[in-house]
Amino acid sequence: MGWFSSNDDSGVKKTSGGAFETPSRTNRAKCYEARDAFFECLDKHQILDSINSSSGRQATAKACGDADKVFEKNCAHSWVEYFKKQRVVNYKKEMTIKKIEAEGGEIIAPQLPIGNPK
Amino acid sequence: MSNCISGVAKALRATRLPVQTSARRTLAYSNGCKTPSIAESNGINVLRIQGNGVQQGQIRSFSNSSPRNKLKTMQQIKTRNKSGPFNLTAAVLLVATGCGLWFYFRSEKERMARKRIAEQTKGVGKPKVGGPFDLVDHNGNRFTNEDLLGKYTLVYFGFTHCPDICPDELDKMALMYDKVREQCGQDVLLPIMITCDPARDSPKVLKEYLKEFHPDIVGLTGTYENIKQTCKEYRVYFSTPPNVKDGQDYLVDHSIYFYLMDPEGDFVEAIGRNFTAAQAAKVISDHIGDWDKPLKKEQRWT
Repeated sequence: MGWFSSNDDSGVKKTSGGAFETPSRTNRAKCYEARDAFFECLDKHQILDSINSSSGRQATAKACGDADKVFEKNCAHSWVEYFKKQRVVNYKKEMTIKKIEAEGGEIIAPQLPIGNPK
Repeated sequence: MSNCISGVAKALRATRLPVQTSARRTLAYSNGCKTPSIAESNGINVLRIQGNGVQQGQIRSFSNSSPRNKLKTMQQIKTRNKSGPFNLTAAVLLVATGCGLWFYFRSEKERMARKRIAEQTKGVGKPKVGGPFDLVDHNGNRFTNEDLLGKYTLVYFGFTHCPDICPDELDKMALMYDKVREQCGQDVLLPIMITCDPARDSPKVLKEYLKEFHPDIVGLTGTYENIKQTCKEYRVYFSTPPNVKDGQDYLVDHSIYFYLMDPEGDFVEAIGRNFTAAQAAKVISDHIGDWDKPLKKEQRWT
């Protein structure tokens, strides 16, 4: 798919392998925008995982296919995969924190043994 | 801190005035009262008989200091005893001194803690983090660990095709750098980004990329072997594939820390993602403030 998207003039310029030609601030902003639109669509259709399971991928293609295409067009392919996986990880992390807090635990940010933020 | 100390000084200055005037008043009073007797009699006899009041008046010409706690009349003693030895002046002095000491000890304690961190990480013999490297800067010039000497350096490892964390951290680095320069001077800190992705990050790519964050950030790249060695020395984990094809799309996993190195090239402290720019700037500024040796490379060997 890298070849097709790099021939397409809309979206950001990419290499033959599907990476950004230049990961500049404007290109990053375009990618983040497309990502947020795609995630909004997933939220609306209550899809969490759009990459790891085949059922998730099918549901995504059906409900948010267009947003996904825009996402791919504006981001490096590796970024798309990264963000899709990150969405799942972030959700699980949030749930774990909520669970711990509901049980009365406290979350302390991991720190190096030396130096504390004051 | 300094405000508080000058506050103490001010309080002292303010309290000295009333003390002096009251002393003068005692003298004036005793003079006014006893002058006739001094004039009438002469010498040591009078001193013995008249006691303190006269002594004060006569000694005054030899020395300015005078015992001011001597009270003469019963009335004076009574008023004095009514309020006891405590008055407003004493209270202000006590509070001001206490406040000053508290701030002083607190700042000393913080300074010692920082010194301990700096000493702890300095390592015996070979530094634990950092070491010799031979890389190329974003202008294509050779850049080695020798170029770190003479300034504090803030070293960050990243790569230009990083999706979200590195750009955020580099924005933070620019903020930190500006804050530290504001507090400690223009020429004390050098921000450096070393790429973990030498295959894609040429000097030109780095230059284009970094100027969007801060024009002063120096980007370093090099051969895969040199980058690997540098990362190893800085205890940075990274996962760039060694042989990549042109235009290949991949991400690099790497550790996310800012490494603060002192003007002798030794590791001071690692600053993690949980620090805000302001917190990190404070940590760096404090360490820079603790540095008591000359910063300039030329001066270090004289």
